[in-house]
Amino acid sequence: MEKNYIIAGFGGQGVLFAGKVLANAFMYSGKNVTWYPCYGAEMRGGTVNCEIVVSDEEVSSVHKQDVDCVIALNQLSFDRFITKIKKGGRIICNSSLIEEVRPRNDIEYIFYPMTEKATESGNHKLANMVSLGVLSDIETSLDKNIFERAVDTVLPEERKHLASVNINAWSAGHCNTLLAC
Amino acid sequence: MAEKELLKGNYAIAEAAVRAGCECYFGYPITPQTEIGEYLSQRMYDLGRGYVCAESELAAINMVLGAASTGAKAMTSSSSCAVALMQEALSYACSDEVPVVLVNVMRAGPGLGYIYPAQGDYTQAVYGGGNGDYKMIVLAPSTVQECIDLTYKAFYLSQKYRNPTMVLADGLLGQMMEPAVFSKYPYPEIDNSNWALTGAKGREGRKICSVAPSEEKQIEHINNLFKKYELIAENETEWEEIGTEDADIVLVAFGSMTRNIKAAAKVLRGQGLKVGMFRPITLSPFPSGRLNELSNHVKKFVVVEMNMGQMVNDVKLAVNGKTDVELINRSVGQWLSVEEIVDGVNKFIPAGVN
Repeated sequence: MEKNYIIAGFGGQGVLFAGKVLANAFMYSGKNVTWYPCYGAEMRGGTVNCEIVVSDEEVSSVHKQDVDCVIALNQLSFDRFITKIKKGGRIICNSSLIEEVRPRNDIEYIFYPMTEKATESGNHKLANMVSLGVLSDIETSLDKNIFERAVDTVLPEERKHLASVNINAWSAGHCNTLLAC
Repeated sequence: MAEKELLKGNYAIAEAAVRAGCECYFGYPITPQTEIGEYLSQRMYDLGRGYVCAESELAAINMVLGAASTGAKAMTSSSSCAVALMQEALSYACSDEVPVVLVNVMRAGPGLGYIYPAQGDYTQAVYGGGNGDYKMIVLAPSTVQECIDLTYKAFYLSQKYRNPTMVLADGLLGQMMEPAVFSKYPYPEIDNSNWALTGAKGREGRKICSVAPSEEKQIEHINNLFKKYELIAENETEWEEIGTEDADIVLVAFGSMTRNIKAAAKVLRGQGLKVGMFRPITLSPFPSGRLNELSNHVKKFVVVEMNMGQMVNDVKLAVNGKTDVELINRSVGQWLSVEEIVDGVNKFIPAGVN
């Protein structure tokens, strides 16, 4: 069974970072996984995205035409990827920056104020990690230990001191009361 | 065994080169392979090895030619339109029998093209864009793990046969991350003391030169080169095949498209069709012999590639009219999906069969 995720947002929101954390987390949970970024003339303030494919078997196509689950951190990403989601798929939206509208009725929407929750958890830049918390709450059985390990792997040496604030942000998304949120 | 880590294809190639003993890197940045040079600029400096960010691709490949002439393990990396600039030097390196290692992380062409992935340099790599009769060894990885393993192999084969060797990857492989592990460099070191230009003190002078002023000498030189190419084909031709024993249809691809045909073959098997997959790992030498053998029972080969149809010609030559060869392709951009391949294959099956 193969499943793909796209994380998308502004350059500077930590989209590629979050993707790498998620891909490492899947690897540590024993899955086969690939991570593929949009690359080229992307820059801070522009849009950026990456695609993660997870499989129990060898990963086939790394960059697919449609997607099972989108994490949209800003409005542009919501607008761009809403049409690419498979029927029955899901979009997880940062409602701090995305309007709560539902243009399709064949997919599931989750709106969560990620930037606000990130600010409450200690760092307003970490909406990316909040989104992974939301994702692991509803999509997978990835737990906190695995994310701690993944964050530690992805953070470069000089940023290791930011591990705990990243995990705090993850926890702020990983609330079991989400469906009531 | 070391634990797997999530690695980007470009970094995997760069670190594999270091572990293969690459002593000098010369390069010029170009998307989608710039990370190779970026990574090595620090790593080679830390190790006290040679690194030059050259003023152009032309300079870079000729620096490799110079360094490799002294017996040093030397490499460059680049992408499509810039590899085009290097073709003259590759012709020289083949004639001079200098063990150049070159990594081409393909992007879209022709001309400047664009930075997204493509497979349009198959012909350039396999047949060469330089003058005269020559052949490079060309290896095509399909996973990040193979980026490591085939970079190791490229250094080994280039030294073993004194022949320029190319790792032909694509933007998808260069940019993606996947779990992989660095095994130890598995090949023996090759003694090059009988030809390398190391200074003539205490011995006869040597020269590496591709000028052959007499016709006889030139004929002899080319014949020797082609004897070597035959030997390489005999010893080093490598491929992967799955489910071909009983197959009516065999999907053929190279590089990262292999992943998609493997999945497509499984889907088509699920539909009750006898479908297998085949992919050359060495594009040059090409596994023509095995494809010809398979064409004794396979009814149709379907080549899947991201270009206007390049490797399909080699498959046709290999089967030599014994069986049908079809093509599913797109010029550049979004890789052909598993579904597109499955639909494409189904279109080739006449109604009522199966």
